[in-house]
Amino acid sequence: MEKYPVSEEKPLRGIVSSPAIRLNRPRNLLWARKWGTLIGFVALVVLFSLLRPDVFPSVRNWSNIIEQVATLAIVAVMVTIVMVTGDFDLSVGALASLAGVVAADLMANQGVPVALAILVALLVGMAGGAINGLLVAYGGLSAFVATLATMTAYGGAALLYTNGATIFSGIPESFRWLGQGNVAGIPASVIVMLIVVFLAWLLMEQTVFGRRLYAIGGNTEASYLVGISVQRLRLMAFTLSGLGAALSGVILTSRLFSAHPQAGNPFMLNAAAAVFLGATAFREGEPHVLGTVLGVLIMGVLGNGLNILGVNSYIQSILTGVIIVLAVLISSLSRRR
Amino acid sequence: MNMTRRCLSFLTLGVVAALLAACAAPPVATGPGARKKTIAVVTPYMANETTKYVIDQFKKEAEAKGWQVTVTDTAADFNLLVSRIKDAVTQKVDAIVLGMGDPAQMTQGLEAASQANIPVFGIDAGNAPGVLVNVTSDNASLGKLSAETLAKAINEQGNVIMFTHDPHPGVRARAAAAAETFAAYPNIKVIEKKHIEVPGPVDNARKITEDLLTAYPESGSIAGIWAGWDEPALGAVQAALAAGRTEIKVMGIDGTDFAKAEIAKKGPFIASVAQDFDAMAAKTAELIEAYFNGKKPESDSVLIPGRLITADNAQ
Repeated sequence: MEKYPVSEEKPLRGIVSSPAIRLNRPRNLLWARKWGTLIGFVALVVLFSLLRPDVFPSVRNWSNIIEQVATLAIVAVMVTIVMVTGDFDLSVGALASLAGVVAADLMANQGVPVALAILVALLVGMAGGAINGLLVAYGGLSAFVATLATMTAYGGAALLYTNGATIFSGIPESFRWLGQGNVAGIPASVIVMLIVVFLAWLLMEQTVFGRRLYAIGGNTEASYLVGISVQRLRLMAFTLSGLGAALSGVILTSRLFSAHPQAGNPFMLNAAAAVFLGATAFREGEPHVLGTVLGVLIMGVLGNGLNILGVNSYIQSILTGVIIVLAVLISSLSRRR
Repeated sequence: MNMTRRCLSFLTLGVVAALLAACAAPPVATGPGARKKTIAVVTPYMANETTKYVIDQFKKEAEAKGWQVTVTDTAADFNLLVSRIKDAVTQKVDAIVLGMGDPAQMTQGLEAASQANIPVFGIDAGNAPGVLVNVTSDNASLGKLSAETLAKAINEQGNVIMFTHDPHPGVRARAAAAAETFAAYPNIKVIEKKHIEVPGPVDNARKITEDLLTAYPESGSIAGIWAGWDEPALGAVQAALAAGRTEIKVMGIDGTDFAKAEIAKKGPFIASVAQDFDAMAAKTAELIEAYFNGKKPESDSVLIPGRLITADNAQ
């Protein structure tokens, strides 16, 4: 991410922010930097609740929002792992689409058992992610260029695989549960999302693996010099990102109970937006799992609230862009002395 | 080849053309009694399933009338398509049929045809100088029919939501015609007009519908949802089913296979409007026959109404 302003302290970021720098800043700005995004989120919720008190704060609407963002949250949280290292993954949307059509085709047309079809789809996602990782970590391509290329290729593969058509007939009923079923009233997709979020948080915040990824993001050169196997870790980060995309694609296919060769494509921009929004929360402009979850929630609440208020769709897009810019701007301004 | 070379070496250019035509074309002018009419169908899009279907249908109609039909595909190569039209002109076919493809890109070929007085008929191709008549179903009529169908299904009253995508000219024309149609019913009110994101229209429409069902929670507060094409209609149907709002009627356009499967379940997805390619093929053959009998088409385009796909004929 932003490598310019305070790069000398980067290796420490993600663990604690430097107390020396903290003392030099005005208190109110520090406060805004840390909590601004969360406050913005709460403000959105309060605003929508006041404007539509009968509808927006209802339990039904919130369960709607959470279910709507479940697939995006899974992609975004896993992309966060790549973005922590300072890389980027543009291919997640296309990979989600590809995994979705592979799963659907295997179970609907090839007679493959549901669980096995899902497994194969997840492996396709991991393989796609691993190719990204190889290109970036070992091939020396910039992540932007490598994943731009694979995004196009994976997208083409999904279209080729389906001949551009929608797979909808012959999908076994047992596959419906993942995207549409629930356990004690909690949607299965939300449970999967919570598990993914918890595991990703555990991995990034509580393990050496996670610390090392943050170190790479802080200063790749230094990480290499202190003996961190930078290439292998970047490869693993991309592989995990591919896995997240595939899992989301499979759940989306179950939710829609049909596989469209471009269904997952919108994930890419939305996940990136959520990670950027989340990077402004709690910490110093660096991507992290819980921040991403907040980012996803902001996007979900914004879309839902504006729809409920009947705001014009084009204006919704503009507002979403403005809010992302504002959040990042406030965060970066408050970081200046 | 041999013969061609000999032709080239001995004869003037004008004679060459005539002879080449004689070499290439089957002997059409012979045979007892009335000469068998020949039709050349040229298309850039035979690989497209719909194009193939409509051309096959036309071929059947034409052969039933006793005409000889040749079909040439240029695999999206418009340059080659122009050459093929010129070939057909040289062969002195009785009519040329364009199987889709924008005639604006075939100007040279069309000029050659009109100079030779060979009529050109378009099947869902478009209008351009040199095209006698184009048979198509326009988006506005599809939009109108779908809106009328939905209006009837909700007893001509209640709130309607429209799912559109105005950057696409076809969908835009459908939506404009639908909006005009709804406006003619005094008791129907279009309460929301939502832009659907592409790609990902099914999920996007599903989310928007979920939000709108929350915003209009009372049963009956949304009577119908009109979608500019089948994907958003499917998303709307899924949201309505998941929320138990099965009283809402959803209408699509295109008659895609997945829409038909959903319509056959007799749920909220009441119908879709498909382009009627059978009728397009039949109408084209009819117009050609009339032309052969000395009757030119009255206008340069013939619009075939869409075909309604309901639970009765969805499977």
